[in-house]
Parts: sequence; structure tokens; C-alpha cells
Amino acid sequence: MMNSLFLLLFILFGSAILSYIGHRISETLGNIIVVVGAFSASIWFFVGFETPAEFSYKIADFDALWSFSSYSWIFAALVSILSPLALLYSTSYMKGKERLGTFYFNFFLSILGMIGITMSQDFISLFIFWEIMTWSSYLIVIYLGKDVEKVGIKYMIFSAIGAYALLMGIVLINREVGSLLIEDAFAYFPQIQFSTQLLIGILLLIGFSIKSAMMPLHVWAPGAYSNSPMSYTAVFSGALSKMGIYGLGLVFIRLLSSGEFTLINEIFAWAGAITTLMATFYAIIQDDAKKLLAYSSIGQLGYIIVGVAIGTELSIMAAIYLAILHAAFKGNLFMAIGAVEKQTGSTDMTLVTGLIRKMPLTFFSTLVSIIALAAVPPLGGFVGKWMLYQSLLASEHFFLIIVIFTASTAAFLYSFKILYSLFLGQEEPEFKNIKEAPLPMLIPMILLSLFLIVTGTFPGILFEPIANGMKYLGFNDVNWNMSLLVNAWGDEVNLQHVSMYIGTIFIVAFIFISLKNRKRTRYVTTKDISTSGEIPLPHENLSFKLNFYKPFERAISPVMKKTMDSIYDEIGNGLNALFQFIRYIYSGNGQGYALYVIIFFVLLLLLKNQIFGL
Amino acid sequence: MNWSLILGITITIITAFTVGMFYGGISRKVTARIQNRVGPPIWQNFLDVLKLYSKESAIHHGWMQHLGPLWAITASTATLMFVPILNNGQFYQNLNFSGDLIFLMYMMVFGQLGMALGAGQTGNPNSAIGVSRGLSQMVGYKVPWLLALVAIMVQYKATSITGLIELQNQIGWLMFASPFAFIAGLLAFIGMMHYSPFDIVFAPSELASGPPSEFGGKYLGLMMTSGSIFTFAKLVLFVDVFLGGASNILELLLKTFVIYMIPVIYGIVSPRYRTEQSIRYFWGWPTFFGVIGMLYAWYMIS
Repeated sequence: MMNSLFLLLFILFGSAILSYIGHRISETLGNIIVVVGAFSASIWFFVGFETPAEFSYKIADFDALWSFSSYSWIFAALVSILSPLALLYSTSYMKGKERLGTFYFNFFLSILGMIGITMSQDFISLFIFWEIMTWSSYLIVIYLGKDVEKVGIKYMIFSAIGAYALLMGIVLINREVGSLLIEDAFAYFPQIQFSTQLLIGILLLIGFSIKSAMMPLHVWAPGAYSNSPMSYTAVFSGALSKMGIYGLGLVFIRLLSSGEFTLINEIFAWAGAITTLMATFYAIIQDDAKKLLAYSSIGQLGYIIVGVAIGTELSIMAAIYLAILHAAFKGNLFMAIGAVEKQTGSTDMTLVTGLIRKMPLTFFSTLVSIIALAAVPPLGGFVGKWMLYQSLLASEHFFLIIVIFTASTAAFLYSFKILYSLFLGQEEPEFKNIKEAPLPMLIPMILLSLFLIVTGTFPGILFEPIANGMKYLGFNDVNWNMSLLVNAWGDEVNLQHVSMYIGTIFIVAFIFISLKNRKRTRYVTTKDISTSGEIPLPHENLSFKLNFYKPFERAISPVMKKTMDSIYDEIGNGLNALFQFIRYIYSGNGQGYALYVIIFFVLLLLLKNQIFGL
Repeated sequence: MNWSLILGITITIITAFTVGMFYGGISRKVTARIQNRVGPPIWQNFLDVLKLYSKESAIHHGWMQHLGPLWAITASTATLMFVPILNNGQFYQNLNFSGDLIFLMYMMVFGQLGMALGAGQTGNPNSAIGVSRGLSQMVGYKVPWLLALVAIMVQYKATSITGLIELQNQIGWLMFASPFAFIAGLLAFIGMMHYSPFDIVFAPSELASGPPSEFGGKYLGLMMTSGSIFTFAKLVLFVDVFLGGASNILELLLKTFVIYMIPVIYGIVSPRYRTEQSIRYFWGWPTFFGVIGMLYAWYMIS
């Protein structure tokens, strides 16, 4: 009998190869393999592990150990739920594209990478799986061949920086601790010299926070998220970025737990908060729905980083909860935008308009996810934000809460923009014959929407595994209730009362307004509106879309002048100047090089006593 | 079935509706007198709403428009349910203990989002412009409002409104105990009431009343109802947090009326801001007082 962990990776790797071969033969066969492979891996993950499975081996004298901790299980479950849905969606979304075999091969490999990261209990396999994940995602980012130089290279450079930082940290841990097992590192870490501790901590944090796109290391994210096919971005933003959060949680709570590192915690919390605010501002001024969602992802991850960095019981709980919720609503949103792209051929919010009557289910799932994103009760997003604010209040981070609350309010702006621009507004004859997205795309969206609705009233279904996982992080008795939120001072929100009230009033008011009203009215087009007597011609579209938030842009213009991109550009220019100077030395002139060699030998002769001690 | 709860909810909503409508009528009268007109009678708003409810609509623009006003009234009555009307549970308790201030802050946006979506589907450009302005302005006034509320929440270690009222029974009104937070809160509150100079959303002469411009009949009636209930809920919330709540209806009416008149009177003599001016206004002095209030709270607890 094969080890169950090994089998899980085997299924994923087998699906990767089989789907590659299948797609070379025919698209239908490939799609069947993709869906069967994805769901069987997921089912095996949830059903196949009766007892805590372990798998240990040696890589070149280093002990390696695979096993799920209760904490990493949460993230593995996240991947195992989101990725089959995204792959099911993908079979329809990617229909007719070229090189599908390569795409699915890399897709499965990055799922394998993520699952591998969560099951690694030693740093060496963590690093290997981390690299598998990075490389496969890089190949998908450049898969469509758009802006490869700009987006692909940016992603590669930042991933490389992250990987080197991670590797250096791991090497240092091995030197100091003498073992690469994660548990050993936790156990012996307090005995290391303080400066080395600090160095290890910072290196690991940089490595992990690059993947979760924290400012100022986020510049790869907007391009990479919006350039990959949307079916992959759903996983990219929903699950892959959470691997960074997984690592940050381990480092902040288990490694840097001694209380001497509060400054680092504060710095990261503030970096997370500023990430949230600035990314939200940038999301507001975008005109492309994909770019908007990409910035919004960066922003939402900022909240999670804040929660992890604060490190109190409630804030960790909020962070993990938000990480799961973010996977659901952002996965859903990217899928919905992908559906719009598939059906209309564009995601430009100034072009696409009035799709609500053409794609009602897509609109519904977008609406639900937007309400969850904006943290409006009674949907699940509110619960996470509430816990985060309460934890910040109780841990006396007053100005931090202002920054992220402001960002959360500003998030309404882009939330409304995406709903309004794509689905509402005046209808356009160009989009007259648009159909609703096909069923394989709709099913994942509807399922995720239902999940968001249920968590709004019963977040307890998520609190249970989260409380389990937090035991691993050292929080033993985490208080949680099925649908009651309680803060440190005993103030509470009863979610059942909220949902019941809202539901009842909604139905009562609905009956009131629909009675004798809806049936007798007739539908008129969106061109039939009051325009002070002026009748717009059929080709004239009066929707207000361009520069939707111009006044807001003007108000925030002072903080938007300098982007992180331009700062990196300046660093790049500085390096360029340095290399220009070096070119004077490496002039490419053979005689010059001969001169250097002679000068070198002359110096060697002159200084031989000092150098060789002769 | 919990009949007393249902009775309480009904009576609370009717009270809020009546008071909100009368306040609207009074403000129209006051405005008229200052502008040297006779003005409508103060019950004019009731007549308007009754007329609107008795009308039948002939057209609609789709489901989202149909649901928009509904959404608004759900949110405004929900906000009302979580705000204690009178101290010590003398009035119906409704759902006072099931929510706190942070919950309310999010709940209050719920209705605006619904209205905005409803207005969006009508396809009227004026509606969209109004929504864009309204959301932008909301980010403006939320900053001082938050600073004020967070200052209070951290200083007194309570996020529930009932808790804050109880506290004020002991230490006096927070208006005096946390003066800077009060100033910031009041300035933000003026913006929340959407009277001039912050009436950029509805801007009658500019946007043809903005978001509601395609709504008529029952839809508009429901929107007006929701608006007056929401006004009352906001007023009571402000009184509860800063003015120690009220122990009887008369005291409540007096306090809310005084607070209500501040934006009205201020508005009559002010021209309209542009959107970015409005946002920058809120990020100026009100935010400054909010920060002072926060530092004060910080000083007080440490």
C-alpha cells in the first residue's frame, strides 16, 4: 500500500502528465482527464486521510518529513477545494486555445507545489515545492504571450529574490540548528544569537511576503494576475498567494514569538495596512476589470498580513478566516470576469455594458462576492473584517484600524464600479446576442456564492478547522461559536438575528412592492429615460463610465504621484549608470585587456611579499 | 412566534418614519422662511408619500431597479433595529444587543449599495454621476467619523451602543468627556446628512436629483420612507453615542431635533461644494480634530 501522502502527489503528477498527453490527442479527452484528475485528488485529500499520515525520507543526508499539521491542513483544504472548481471552470473557459496540454501540465504542477508546501515538515522539501510552484506559475503567466518582457520578467525577478531570501534563511537555520526539520527549528530557535535570529526572521519574511504581494514587493502582482488566463488567476490569487500567508503565520507566530520582535511585527502590520490602502486607491482608478481585481487582491491580502502580523488570538483567527474567504470571493470574481471576457471578448469597463439581463447568474455571483468583499453584512466577508477590527481595537492599534477601515470604505468605490460598469448602465446593441456563460463555468461560481452566503450566518463551519489549526500555532482554547461573534470586551454580534431580520424585512418589503406593481409594469429599455426631452439615438450610449471616479482621483492625487514601479525604475536607472561605468573598464578592446593582465602581474610582483608572505 | 418583538419592530419603524417625515417637513419650512417664502406645511412630506404609494408604476428597467428601493428600506430599518431608542430599555429593545458600532458602520452602507445598484440599472447618466459622487464623498466623511468613534471605543473599551449609554449615565455625556472626538464626529455627521454644502449626490439643479431620477410611484415612496427612517436612525445613533441617549421620548425629540437643525441651518447659507472639495474638506479640519481626539484617548488610557 502506497503512502497516502505520496499517493496524493502521485495523482496530481499523473494528472499533469496525462492531461498533457490527453490534450495532444484531443481536447475533449484532455478535459475529461483534467476534471477527473482534479476531483479525484481533492476527494482523496478529504476522504483518504483517516489517520495522520507521515512520510519520511532522506535527501543527501538531510532528514525530510511530509505530514499535514492541523494548521497546514487548512491551507491544503483551501487548495483542494478551489483548484478542482477552477479546473472545471477552465475546461470551458480555455476552449479552443492553443497549447492546452502545456497549460494544464503547469496548472497541475502548481497545485502539486502548493499541496507539497503545506505537507512539508522540513525546509528542504518546502523549498523544492516552493520552486515548483513558482516556476509552473511563471510559465502560465507568460502562457498567453502578452507583455512577456514586462510582466514575466518582473514576476521572475521578484520570485527569484524571494527564493534567494528563503534559501539563505534556510541555510542559516541549518547552520545554527543543525537540522532542517521545521519542528526542530522552532524548538532550537530561541538559543540562537539574537542578530542571527533577526536575520533569519527577516529573510524568511521577505521570501514569504513576496508571494503574498506585500508593498513594496508587490509590483509583479497586478501584471501577473491580469495576464494569466482567468481560470488560473482564480487559483493564483485565491490559493497560491495564501502560501505566503501560510509561511508568514509560521514565522510570526512560531519563530519570532519571543516578544523581542514586536518592532518587526509592527513594521509588517503597517506595511500590510499601507498595501491595503494604496492598492485600493489604485484599484479605483483602473479601467480594466482584470487589473482592478488584481489590485483588489493585493489590497485584500494586506488585511490578512495585518492580521497575521498583529499576532493576537483573534487577529490570527481573522486572518485565516479572511484568507479562506478571500479565496472564495476573489476566485469567484475572477471566474465571473473570465465569463464576461469569454462571452464578450473584453473586460474593458468602458466598453462592456449592460450585461445584467444577458448574464443574470454571472451577475448574481459577482454581486454576492462583491458584497462579501466589501464586508457588508449579512455575508461572510463581514465576519472576518469585524474580527480583525476588534483584534486591532483590543491590542491598541488605533491608527492602524483607521488606515484599514478607510481602505475598506474606499473598497466600496471599486466594488460598485465593477458591478455597474460591466453589468448595469445602458445596454449596447453590440452586446445584444450575448448568452449566459456555459454550465461548467457557472457551477463553480454558484457553488462559491452559496458558500459565501452560508458563512454569513454560520461562520462556525470555518471556525472549527481554524481553531484546530491554531492549536498548532500555540493558541489552545480558541473561543468560537457557530453564529455569534464576541470581542475582548464582551460585545457581540448575533449573526442569526441579523440574517433573520434582513431576510424577513426583505421578503415583506418585496411582497409589498411587487404586489400589483411588478406585473402591471412593462419593461422599457435603458434608453427610455428622462433626458430633459432630448432623445438619444440608438447608437448613442449615455452610460457614465469613463473617468468614473475622477473627483476622487483629484482628491487623492497627492499620494498617487510616486508609484513603487517608478522607484524601482529609478533603482534600475541607477544600476544602468553603474554598469555604464563598468563598461569603461570592460571596453571590449583586446589591447586594453592585455594591459590589464600586465598591470595585474606587475602588481603581483610588487606585492608578492605582502600577499604570499614569502 | 415572538409577538412582542414583532410589535416592537413595527412600532419602532412607524415612530422613526413619523419623526423623520416631520423633521423633513420642518426643515423645508425653515428653509422657506429663511429664503423669505411661505413654504409648504410641515406635513407636506406625508402627503407626498401617501400620493406616491397610491400611484401605480407603468414601467420598470429590470430586476435590479425593482430591488433597489427594497434593499434601501431593509438596510435603513435594520440600522434602526440595532440602535437603542431610549435608555435602560424603556422603549422596545428590538435587536439592540445583537450588534455593535462596527457592525452598524457596515450595515449603514448596505442600503446605499443597493440603491446605487438600482439606480445603476436605470441607465440614467445622472444617477451614475450621483452614485459616483456619493461613494467618493462617503470615503471623505468616513475618516473623521471613524477617528471619532474609534477614539471613543478605545478610551472606554466598549463597542456596543448600550454599553456606551450605560457608561454615560455614570460619567456624563461623551460630548464633554471626549470633546475632540465629538467635534470630529459632528463635522462628519453634517456630511452624512447630505445637506448643502454636501448635497452633491442629489444636487437638484445639477443632476436632476441624481440616483432617484428614474424612480417613481411606489419605488420613490419606498425610497422616501427609507430616507426618513434612516435619518432618524442616524440621529438617534449620534445622540446615543455623544449625548448620553435619552430617557423619554420628549428628551429624545429635543436632542435629535437640535442635532438635526445643525446641518439644516448650516446648509441653508452654504453653496454646494464640488466633489473633491467636499472630500478634501473632510480630510482637513474634521480629520485634524479626529486625530487630536485619538491622541487624547491614547493619553487618557496610558
